Amino acid sequence: MTTTASLETATTATAAPSIVAADHLSKWYGQVIGLNDVSVSVPPGITGLLGPNGAGKSTFMKLLTGQLKPSKGSVTVLGEPIWQNPALYFRIGFCPEQDAFYDRMTGLEWVTALVRLNGLDEADADRTARRALEMVDLMEAAGKKIGAYSKGMRQRVKMAQALAHDPELLILDEPLSGMDPIMRRKTIRMIKDWGRAGKSIIVSSHILHEIESMTANILLINQGRILAEGNVHQIRDLIDEHPHTVYIKAERPRVLAREFLAYDDVLSLKFEDEAVVVQTGRPDAFYARLTELAASGASGAIFEVTSPDDNLQAVFQYLVKS
Amino acid sequence: MTMDARSAGASRPNRTPDLLPSALRIFDLSLGQMLWSRRSVLLGVLLGGPVLLALALRVISALYTSGFRINGAMAGGASIFGLMIWLLYIRFIIPVLGVFYGTALIADEVEDKTITYLFTRPVPRSAVLLGKYLAYLVCTSLLILPSVVLVYFLIVPIGGGSIGAAFPSLLKDLGMVVIGLAAYGAVFALVGTRMKRPLVAGLVFAFGWEPGVLLFPGYLKRATVAYYLQALVTHEMPQDSAVSLLLQVFREVPGVLTSLASLAIIVGAAVWLAGKTVEQREYVLDQ
Repeated sequence: MTTTASLETATTATAAPSIVAADHLSKWYGQVIGLNDVSVSVPPGITGLLGPNGAGKSTFMKLLTGQLKPSKGSVTVLGEPIWQNPALYFRIGFCPEQDAFYDRMTGLEWVTALVRLNGLDEADADRTARRALEMVDLMEAAGKKIGAYSKGMRQRVKMAQALAHDPELLILDEPLSGMDPIMRRKTIRMIKDWGRAGKSIIVSSHILHEIESMTANILLINQGRILAEGNVHQIRDLIDEHPHTVYIKAERPRVLAREFLAYDDVLSLKFEDEAVVVQTGRPDAFYARLTELAASGASGAIFEVTSPDDNLQAVFQYLVKS
Repeated sequence: MTMDARSAGASRPNRTPDLLPSALRIFDLSLGQMLWSRRSVLLGVLLGGPVLLALALRVISALYTSGFRINGAMAGGASIFGLMIWLLYIRFIIPVLGVFYGTALIADEVEDKTITYLFTRPVPRSAVLLGKYLAYLVCTSLLILPSVVLVYFLIVPIGGGSIGAAFPSLLKDLGMVVIGLAAYGAVFALVGTRMKRPLVAGLVFAFGWEPGVLLFPGYLKRATVAYYLQALVTHEMPQDSAVSLLLQVFREVPGVLTSLASLAIIVGAAVWLAGKTVEQREYVLDQ
């Protein structure tokens, strides 16, 4: 376990075999180091990969999903090397971060086509795709072209293609990005259900509160290194010392802002296009109230909630210095 | 949200998937995308060019003359059709289709960032290349063959030519067009997987290297696709002018069987090498 911060990290020495094992894993792109000498063992269950943008999360995810070949060291997933091992993808589902699709296809056509690549015939693939779309509450829009989907719907259809073939291990790269608060809550619940059902999930995010709501087991990554590995609660106090920024795209941002003014934890507010950007001192309480607000609809529809990672970056700087 | 999908994994195979079934699934996924792409619409318009030219020639021949002279010799409809097949289709349109589709087989998916979905499924990466190559072949054939047939029906009757009598040669021409598409597509698929600027390299190969080395005697012309394709041309060209006679002296045409075998080797080797390249290569997508 590599720790440069003064965190008391939890042990991962459990009897269960690891789902991911990296041994001195490094990846560089020319002169740029993406991942630097990472040795880590990820236990079964839900594990959060937490770090600011550019920390190496996506590089780590791409190495775990066999999209990149290690420059040095090795990585095994479910006990097997992943690079050039297509059979392993029967057991893995991957939801990438990038917002990329065959836009002219409907959600159902797209998921069906991808599931067919798992060897299912047309009828089975259709049935499996429908089931997956139901799981992410997207069946009503299954016949719509993906090009017409909202950001949250696009995130959900990506989730559907990842989980459709019932993988043992789900790898989710920033899965909640752009989802509205209600869908965010549902997705978190779904991920937790999967964990409880014995699935292993690795989920990346740059927002601690997202990760914390899914699992207590995290990997902290920054500048291509795993800073710490263990229980999320041990660093949440540090996070809370730093103001948290939330970007909310909404139908009526000014009405929403008026609501926020009544919250004592809101430190500042500003408007950007059709969005309101809030700094809060107590993110947990803020997110809970935001979800209630979205559910009530009293302040109009909330389309998208994202968080820039400046606040997390500050925490990482603190951790590295300490 | 339930866990109903669990049953989907119950009968999950756990061995390396076979190349051909995987490639056919990629083909299914890619063909529709390719047919309705902006590229197909644009090249469909390009393929309307020869049809419009044929229509114009037919109208001119009906109104003003009973035939056309090429290099001083009277040319019937079959000869004009042969000339159009060679100059317009084999030497221009097929290389253009090959360059624009072949170099983009994987590059389009990388540029659109959709390659991740294909490379994280239980299919060999070379099957992605092979499936997309097969989709290219069907898509471009569907685009080009109707254009050739229309040109045939418009041009062959000029000067009293018989559509029925020339029909067997049309079938051979259609076969040659498909073989040309297969060969150029394979070569440019390889270029697309190995080079950073495949479109530029492809255009230089098709319109710089090939016409250049074909003009000179020697072995260099064997490093072109056009050299082998010209052996498959069934039409007699008018040869009365001094230039055409001079070209005839330099024209060294391999036998049909040699050409077919060489083209088969070119296709097989290029697709295999392209597949191997895709297997080995890392595709780093911009976030």
